This record gives sequence, structure tokens and C-alpha cells, in this order.
Amino acid sequence: MTTYAERPTINPTMTDPSSKGKNFVKWITSTDHKTIGYMYLIATFGWFLVGGLLALFLRAELTRPGMQFLSNEQYNQIFTMHGTIMLLMFATPLFVGFANVIMPLQIGAADVAFPRLNMLSFWLFMFGSITAVAGFLTPGGAASFGWTAYAPLANSTYSPGIGGDLWVMGLAVSGLGTILGGVNFITTIFTMRAPGMTMFRMSIFSWNVLLTSILVLLAFPPLAAALLALESDRLFGTHIFDPANGGAMLWQHLFWFFGHPEVYILALPFFGIATEILPVFSRKPIFGYKGLIAATIAISALSVAVWAHHMFASGQVLLPFFSFMTFLIGVPTGVKFFNWIGTMWRGHVTFETPMLWVMGFLVTFLFGGITGIILASPPMDFAVSASYFVVAHFHYVLFGTVVFAMFAGFYFWWPKFTGRMLNERLGKIHFWTLFFGFHTTFLIQHWLGIKGFPRRYSDYLATDGFTGMNMISTVGSALLALSMIPFFVNVWITRKSPLVNCDDPWGYGSSLEWATSCPPPRHNFLTMPRIRSERPAFDLHHPHVKTEGH
Amino acid sequence: MSAQRRSRALVFLAAPLTLALSGCSNVSGLGYEEGLSSVNDISLSLWQGAWIAAAVVGIITFVLIIWPAIFHRAKASKGEFPKQTQYNIPVEIAYTIIPLIIVAVLFYYTAVKQEKIVEKTSNYAHEITVNGFQWSWQFGYPEAGPKALVTGTPAQPPTLVVPVGQRVRYTIESNDVVHGFWIPAFMIQMQNLPGVTNSLEFTANKIGTYPGRCNILCGRNHAQMLFTVKVVSVADYKAYLETLKASTA
Repeated sequence: MTTYAERPTINPTMTDPSSKGKNFVKWITSTDHKTIGYMYLIATFGWFLVGGLLALFLRAELTRPGMQFLSNEQYNQIFTMHGTIMLLMFATPLFVGFANVIMPLQIGAADVAFPRLNMLSFWLFMFGSITAVAGFLTPGGAASFGWTAYAPLANSTYSPGIGGDLWVMGLAVSGLGTILGGVNFITTIFTMRAPGMTMFRMSIFSWNVLLTSILVLLAFPPLAAALLALESDRLFGTHIFDPANGGAMLWQHLFWFFGHPEVYILALPFFGIATEILPVFSRKPIFGYKGLIAATIAISALSVAVWAHHMFASGQVLLPFFSFMTFLIGVPTGVKFFNWIGTMWRGHVTFETPMLWVMGFLVTFLFGGITGIILASPPMDFAVSASYFVVAHFHYVLFGTVVFAMFAGFYFWWPKFTGRMLNERLGKIHFWTLFFGFHTTFLIQHWLGIKGFPRRYSDYLATDGFTGMNMISTVGSALLALSMIPFFVNVWITRKSPLVNCDDPWGYGSSLEWATSCPPPRHNFLTMPRIRSERPAFDLHHPHVKTEGH
Repeated sequence: MSAQRRSRALVFLAAPLTLALSGCSNVSGLGYEEGLSSVNDISLSLWQGAWIAAAVVGIITFVLIIWPAIFHRAKASKGEFPKQTQYNIPVEIAYTIIPLIIVAVLFYYTAVKQEKIVEKTSNYAHEITVNGFQWSWQFGYPEAGPKALVTGTPAQPPTLVVPVGQRVRYTIESNDVVHGFWIPAFMIQMQNLPGVTNSLEFTANKIGTYPGRCNILCGRNHAQMLFTVKVVSVADYKAYLETLKASTA
């Protein structure tokens, strides 16, 4: 006969830090994927505000012809850092933040595969980002060659100064953090899914995290290599990007071989967030789940074959191939739209704040997608490439996707993060001010581009006819900035609102994160529900509702 | 009420579509003037056609997004759960095939037209070199001798004089960083790449002056890298070449 010793009872409050200092140390040394995820979300939101502030400087300077308060050089530094911050310090690590918090919960894992590597990734990202932005503190100022850093403008002859070096090395370091994050997510998804969680029961967000991470592994190493080669040119006088050896085109190829998959690295996770939210507020399963996964795989595959559409005007690329591949990407993207529409179709749709943000995303991204098809055609690209038409296009695509879906995700998962709901009324005020602010800022920029205003111009002539349109855009940007106020007020006033005290405050959650408490315990699940479809939480809470249409 | 409300909404939502379609018979240049250059002649119809297609697709998709948001709202009378439809294979095939056809058509016109734009012939009437430098332009007219160069400064942007109705080959180069040779009204641009010689052929078709701008970031005074395109009669162009020849001889 075997005897068992009584299990020791662990009092969870015993290990809880009791002071702010201890809490801080606990956070910065944590290996909990949720804590690291929150750190990513907070840090990236901070960068979003910094990047946004820089954008306001740009808009203010462009309001009227003539240089009002910035010099040309300062203007160039500001748009360079605006682009760099928004793409590489805000949007990319924002994906890592959401993926960190949500993906392990969705696949029923206790943590990510490499928790300490996870924390290392965060510190590499922060250290690298601060390094790149620290250029502003140097005598010569920050990098001013654009976030695209075209050769030979970015070399030490045309862009001397330590700011450029800080930019190059900072991005290389932060890129390493992103690569390690990608490795971590892929390993986690392949090896740590809960029993019953097959690949084709995995939620779309987690699928998109997987595909995004694969794209990270394809795109970021070439960027790292290109950056280190650029630094070698700058520091050691090598001739890797010397125009005499074809360096001008070599850089464009390497950069866009990173740069285009990067667009989908930014888009896919946020498509994933929208895809999580639509079924919950339509009370239906995702329409065409497998087709949607196939479309996402197709987008990922095509996204590494379209880089040269950024270089149509270089005269050095095979136009028909890259044009056709770019057009083709429109097809799976269209499929996604119909999946989203089909999910709402004949659903019981309700408009809580997260759903409103998803509608904002759909409408905005739709227009960005349409102008993308226009730009995919070289004859039309020759007319408007490198103009404000392109600026407007990529803000519709990126802001439409990243920012709208980010706020959708914040409002949606806030109870999962904190145990408390955000205020609905303030959320709706936030949405509508941001929506009108955004469209006022960027819609008019399409016309500016068609009328001939090039991107990255610090100035224009009074006779150019750009003044009125620029003024409208600047007014819009002010409204856009003000829309952050209701959000901050919201976060502040709900900090002590009542706890939701349930697994799923929205009531119709599908994926596994809604089958554990808000916020989840240290290792995520006290009990694991049966996973027999791609809606384990929904099956758990509504066992009588049957799925149809197989 | 539902049917009435629905039909009223349909009219409301279809109105912009009808407007867009009825515009077909007399489409404006949508920002571009017709007949300014040989590139406009090629690209403008694509620009118009693509925008009509984009408007149709965009409006249909927009209506499909808004429709369930208005008419498929949750109501107590409908019960808690809708039918849990997950797949509809015919619909899924349709919404994969239809976009494929649309982009195939767009690609066909794109491929045909882009070939014409980038085509290099031997029957051009004149040759002009376009050299971008930090931060202005140098235009060369080899017919008026190797020294016939017109050089601008950021404060004094140069003028590119071209003959009306005659095909010109532009040789596009740079000796420092990448620049972008862009004439917005002519719907054409090409990068000035250091270490690479690009070329472009087109005809300016209407006498007048048009702004040109560098559109690839090239350093501090990028925004001052402007030029003016002056399209003149063939006789005036000949006279211009003669003055150049005389002044540089």
C-alpha cells in the first residue's frame, strides 16, 4: 500500500511583491509571456506617441508654404525617425506584444517555448530602439536619409554624423530581437499546443502569428545583413553599396526584400485581431475558416515575390513579373474581405467598441487596398509613385490595419489583460474622433499626390496650389492627435472599475483565452476545456449551439 | 417595416454606384489633363478604367460591409443565436474566381501599356540628358554640342526646353545619390541612379510650361530640387538649340 504525503498548500499572496519597487523588478525580470507582452504593449504605445508627435511637427511645417519653424535638415530627421519609429519600434513590436499575451492563451500553452529568450528579445528591441532614436541627442542630429536609407545617400560621404550610425546599429540590434521573437513564436506554436488543439482548430490570430513569424525569419535577416554591410561601408570604408559596383540597386533590392514582407508582418497579426473580434460580435463562427487560412498562406507566399514593385520607377526591374505578383496579392486579400463580410452576414451583430474599431479597419483598409491595386500597375505607378498618393495609400493600409486593429484589440482584450472593462461611451467617442481625424488627414493626400506633391518635401511654393489641401490635412492631424485624449481618460477612469469576475465578459468568445479567468493565472489555465473545434471557449459556454454548413 | 426600410437603404447605397457608372460616358481625367504627353495618351485610359473598376468593386464591398452592420443586428425577437453557418463552398469559389478575373483584366491592360511606355525606339527626333545632382538638375542637349548644358541651383531651378510633337530620348543619370526625374502632368517619372544609365522616350504634345520635381529623397535640399518643363514649337526648339550652341561655343 502506498501512502501519499499531504500536498503543501501554496498561499499565492506569500510570493506577491508588496511594494512598487518589488513590482517593478518583478516586471523587468519576468519570464511570464503575459507580463512581457504587456511590457511590449506599453513600450510600443509609448513609441506610437513619440512617432505621432513627430508627425505633428511634419504636418505643422507643411501647413503653409515656406519654412516656418524647422530647417530642411530637421524636417528630414523628423520624417526619417517618424517612419522608423512607426514601422520598427511601434507596429512590428506591437505584433510581438499582442502575440506574446494572446497566442499562448489561444493555443492552451503555459508560456512561450523560450521564456528567457522572450525577455532578451524585449530588451534587444528597447535597447536598439533607444539607440536609433538617441541620434537626436548627438550634435549632428538623428539619421536624415529616410527610413528606406537609399544608397548612396546613407553612406558616410553624403550622411556623415553619428546619428546615422546609431540608426543603423540600433535597427540591427532591435531586428535581432524581432528575429528571436519570431523563433520563439514558431517553436511555441509547433510544440506547445494543448491536447486536442490541432493546427486546423487553432484560432486565426494564432495562425497569423505563425505566418508572420515565418515572414520575420525570411525578411529580417536580409535587413540585418544589409544594415551591417551599410555600417561597414560607413565605418570601415568598404564598397558594398558603392554605386560603381551597382550598390544603388543592390541596396534597393535588399531593403525592399525586407521591406515588402515587412508590410505583411505589420498587417497579418492585425488582420488576425479583426478576425477574432468579428465572430464574437456576430455570434457566429468565422465564415470560411480554412479558406481564410489558405488565403493568409497565399498572401505570405506572394509577399516575398513582390518587393520590386517599390522600384518600378528605377528602370531596372522586370515590370510584368512584379506587377502580376502584386495584382495577385489582391485576390487572397479580397478573399479575406469576403470571409469577414460572411462572418457578419445574417449574424446577430452588436456594436460594442471593439466591433466598431473593426468596422473602421474594414472601411479604411478597403480604400488602402484599392489604391494598392492602382499602384500595382506600372503605368499608373509612373504617374504617382513617390508622391503623396503613396503616402496616403500606405497610411490607409498601415494605419487602417495597425492602429484601428490595435485599438480594437485593446478594447476587446482589456478585460483579459486587467480584469476590468473600458468605458463604452468614451471608447465610441475615441473611435469617431480618430476616424474623422484620420480620414481628414489622409484622404486629401491622394489628390496632393496626383497634383504633383512629392513625398518627403519639407516645402512647396505658394504657386503650386498645394496650400489648401495641406491645411485640411494638418487640421485632420490635430483632430487625430486629440482623439487620444478620450482613450487616456478611459484608461484612467476605469482603473478601479469593478472586476468582470468571469472568463468571457463579451459572452460569445470563441478562442481558448475566453476559457480562463480575467486576468489569467500565472500559467494560464487551471483547467483545460475539451478542444474539439476551432471554438473551444464557445463550445464550453454554449454547448447546445451547433455549427452548420460543412 | 423591414422590407420598406431595406429597399430605401438600397436606393441610398446604390446612388453613388449609379453616379459612378453614369460617369462612364464622359469620364474626366481624374486629376490629369488629356493629351499633354505621349505617356498621358497611353496611361490616362488605364487610370480612368482602373478607377471605374475600383469604384465599382469598392462600393459593392463597402455596401456588403455596411449591410449586415445595419440589417443583421441582434434583436430580442430573433433569439440569441443565428444559424451557425461556417462554409458555403460555391460562394467561396465565386469570391476567389471573380477577383482573379478582375486582376487578370487589369494586368492585361497594364502589360500592354507599360511596354509602350518603356519602349526604346531608334526613331526619336532629339536627345536630351537629364543629370540630377545635389540639389538641382543639369540638362544637356548633345545636338548643340557637348558643352550645351543648362545647370540649375536650388535657388534658381533650371528649365527643360522640349519640342512639341517630337519624340525625345532622355538619358537619365546621376553622379552622386539617387534622384527622381518626375513630371507629374506627363504621368511619367524615372530614377536617376548613380552608376546606371536609364533612358526614357516620350513626346510632349502641348505647348506650355509644367512643373517637374525630384521625388526621391536626396538630402538636405531635396524640396528645392525643382525644374520647369517648357514645351515649345519645333521652330522655337531649333532656335533654342542654336542659342545654346552659340553661347557655349
